[in-house]
Amino acid sequence: MASVVKGVVKAIREKGIRNFFNVLIEDGYANCLLDGNLLQTKIHSIGGKLVGVDQFGNKYYEKIENTQYGRHRWVEYGDKSRYNASQVPPEWHGWLHFITDHTGDELLMLKPKRYGVAHKQNYSGAGDEYIYHSKGHALNPGQRDWTRYQPWQPTKT
Amino acid sequence: MGFFVLRALQRSRTPLSRLLSPQNPTFQSRWITSTTDLHKPEASAAAASEAPRPEIPPPRTPVGGARVHISSPEDAIEVFVDGYPVKIPKGMTVLQACEVAGVDIPRFCYHSRLSIAGNCRMCLVEVEKSPKPVASCAMPALPGMKIKTNTPVAKKAREGVMEFLLMNHPLDCPICDQGGECDLQDQSMAFGSDRGRFTEMKRSVVDKNLGPLVKTVMTRCIQCTRCVRFATEVAGVQDLGMLGRGSGEEIGTYVEKLMTSELSGNVIDICPVGALTSKPFAFKARNWEMKGTETIDVTDAVGSNIRVDSRGPEVMRVVPRLNEDINEEWISDKTRFFYDGLKRQRLNDPMIRGPDGRFKSVSWRDALAVVAEVMHQVKPEEIVGIAGQLSDAESMIALKDFLNKMGSNNVLCEGNGIHPHADLRSNFLLNTNIGGLERADVFLLVGSQPRIEAPMVNARIRKTVRATHAKVAYIGPPTDLNYDHQHLGEGPQTLLEIAEGRHPFCSTLLSAKNPAIIIGAGIFERNDRDAIFAAVETIAKHSKAIRPDWNGFNVLLLNAAQAAALDLGLIPESKNCIGSAKFLYLMGADDVNLEGVSNDAFVLYQGHHGDRSVYRANIIFPSSAFTEKEGTYENTEGCAQQTVPAVPTVGDARDDWKIVRALSEVAGSCLPYDSLAAIRARIRAVAPNLLSTDEREPATVSADVKPEFQYNMSMSGFKSAVENFYMTDSISRASKIMAQCSASLLKK
Repeated sequence: MASVVKGVVKAIREKGIRNFFNVLIEDGYANCLLDGNLLQTKIHSIGGKLVGVDQFGNKYYEKIENTQYGRHRWVEYGDKSRYNASQVPPEWHGWLHFITDHTGDELLMLKPKRYGVAHKQNYSGAGDEYIYHSKGHALNPGQRDWTRYQPWQPTKT
Repeated sequence: MGFFVLRALQRSRTPLSRLLSPQNPTFQSRWITSTTDLHKPEASAAAASEAPRPEIPPPRTPVGGARVHISSPEDAIEVFVDGYPVKIPKGMTVLQACEVAGVDIPRFCYHSRLSIAGNCRMCLVEVEKSPKPVASCAMPALPGMKIKTNTPVAKKAREGVMEFLLMNHPLDCPICDQGGECDLQDQSMAFGSDRGRFTEMKRSVVDKNLGPLVKTVMTRCIQCTRCVRFATEVAGVQDLGMLGRGSGEEIGTYVEKLMTSELSGNVIDICPVGALTSKPFAFKARNWEMKGTETIDVTDAVGSNIRVDSRGPEVMRVVPRLNEDINEEWISDKTRFFYDGLKRQRLNDPMIRGPDGRFKSVSWRDALAVVAEVMHQVKPEEIVGIAGQLSDAESMIALKDFLNKMGSNNVLCEGNGIHPHADLRSNFLLNTNIGGLERADVFLLVGSQPRIEAPMVNARIRKTVRATHAKVAYIGPPTDLNYDHQHLGEGPQTLLEIAEGRHPFCSTLLSAKNPAIIIGAGIFERNDRDAIFAAVETIAKHSKAIRPDWNGFNVLLLNAAQAAALDLGLIPESKNCIGSAKFLYLMGADDVNLEGVSNDAFVLYQGHHGDRSVYRANIIFPSSAFTEKEGTYENTEGCAQQTVPAVPTVGDARDDWKIVRALSEVAGSCLPYDSLAAIRARIRAVAPNLLSTDEREPATVSADVKPEFQYNMSMSGFKSAVENFYMTDSISRASKIMAQCSASLLKK
């Protein structure tokens, strides 16, 4: 606890009080007030070792000692308001889920250059264009120009 | 878990005791059990020996309405199926005996209308004193045979066969069109193992191109050879065959070739897996999404029984329905695939042709008023009504009554010729009914090409020819009948020779026991039709074709409306009525020749498709197609059947008889019926046989009461009545699939 206070005092001294609060808000401490998950992660992160930060700003922590085994790697999402597990890119997924001990930064070089696509989070439910409508559904794009029958067009004879 | 099941069973309404009691047959035969413990032979042997002797179960109802007909008592034998004795005639197979006993044997290759192949081995049953399980479909039942269908040996045999069949079957049910109505799927659920032991690679087979109708995914094929046997036996084309041996075995057309049969769509139905599926229906719908409507087909005069499968307002597909007397369980390709024409070129609004020659949509009120006004301006005898080939009896009687009320008696039905004879029903019906053709031993086809005019009748003739080696003689233009036939000549000359006894074929005809003479309805359009009919009647008289027990004088009609129109008396008063008409009421008539119609004639076209006649029409009334209305049709053998609406009609279209009824009110001579029941009461007064549906009403008076006449016969040869089998009516002419068929299958 003392280290936390010491760190805070040090940060205020370096950045000034105004910048310090800006950084607090950026890091999502304001969101912690309403979001218990984030608060818990923040508390959990105290003393954790920052292993890496990915392109989306997700921070990956590890803490071996004094942590329950299986909870010793975790992520703090870069997006503080709408976060979900699909925001973890594949290179970090293995490390985070204890599939491998190689960090995402190490694995990034394995990504195929020519056909590897950029990671995209799962947008399901995030808006109409991200909702899949089955083939017969009225909102399916293929269904939009569906007509029951094609009427006879009178032509001049 | 068990607790919840118990709770659920206690709460359920059906008494559990009844469900579990041995008296419930369905429960016994349908119970699906996993026999994992029987994978080991020792365990299964132990299970077999330990099993207590089962009590004799109560009799069950035969499967699928299986009937036994025992001609003489000494031909009957008795076998025991699961301990229950059944009497069956000699020559039945074990599988048929089981069906009579009410035990459904799983099968893939066996089909009751095809020859027995016995290669799928799914129908293995245990027979006492037989060392191995026997394939019941190929094993004749012997007297006193003790057949066991429910023993561990039989179950294990099925399970093993199923495992072998699934070895090379792709597990692609989710993307397979057969999914949900697949025999392999159902039977592997019921009889297969609950786990697989297969770890090797599956084989794959190149898909074949069988034309625009049948889609093939040959990797799914289980080599039951039903399609091969169907093609060679029923369809009569040697297109399909089996190539290779062992795991290299595959179905194919020896060389790259399309399947050129008018019955090819039936291989889709008989294929027990998804190897042969419908190409137009591919990936369109699942069978459980669709509503089936049992109706009849109107593309030809046979009136095949069909089921129209619809999803929402769309007709998705057409499949056959069993009717032993008419179409057995087949339908022609036109019947099966012309349904997409129901969605194209539809008339959906009443339209009036303006002075500039363009059609303009108007309301029903205006359109009816315009027509009523025109009708009052012309002389009554200049009003002519022509019923189309898809008209139902209700609308035809309404049209006739309406025009009669307006003072005209010129109502006719297209295809019946300008001066039809409707007095004797035997003169226009297939008097030997379609099923009765199987008893004939000599056929004489006069100007009739049943293969393209009525494929179901042709299939019957072929069946007879195959079964009894009946002789077929044919008079008419050269054609391709798919059975052995003798082409006697092309025109009435040959007919006269036979009638006068100068032709070598006469001896065959005279020695025949049950000769069947089939006259094509194309002759109705000839001017010398009376002479030809007289000649044929002479032949029938000489060959004793018309007897109390056998009527071999047949007319094969072309269109669904023809028989009912003649029964209702749609006969024009004057011969040249179309030429002198000033008001022409076309009720779906597209094949009538309109060239003789004078330019100042007012033509009303009432129909469901913008086909040929709309281009001459002055006003268009949209009506509903046969899938959208309830109507009575009489088929060529005189059997009245009813269509049932499957989908709602399009736009502003209305039923034909309702339009006529509305027009009659606007025109001031109101018809006295407002409902289908009332219009049927009117039909009862005119032709009561049209109301006894699904019953064949035979012609009571035979043709020989007609006085003899000498007619002049022209010597020009008979013409084919149907030029393009795939496009004969307004619906099939609007169909894209039929257009593809005629493009790819008819070019020779």
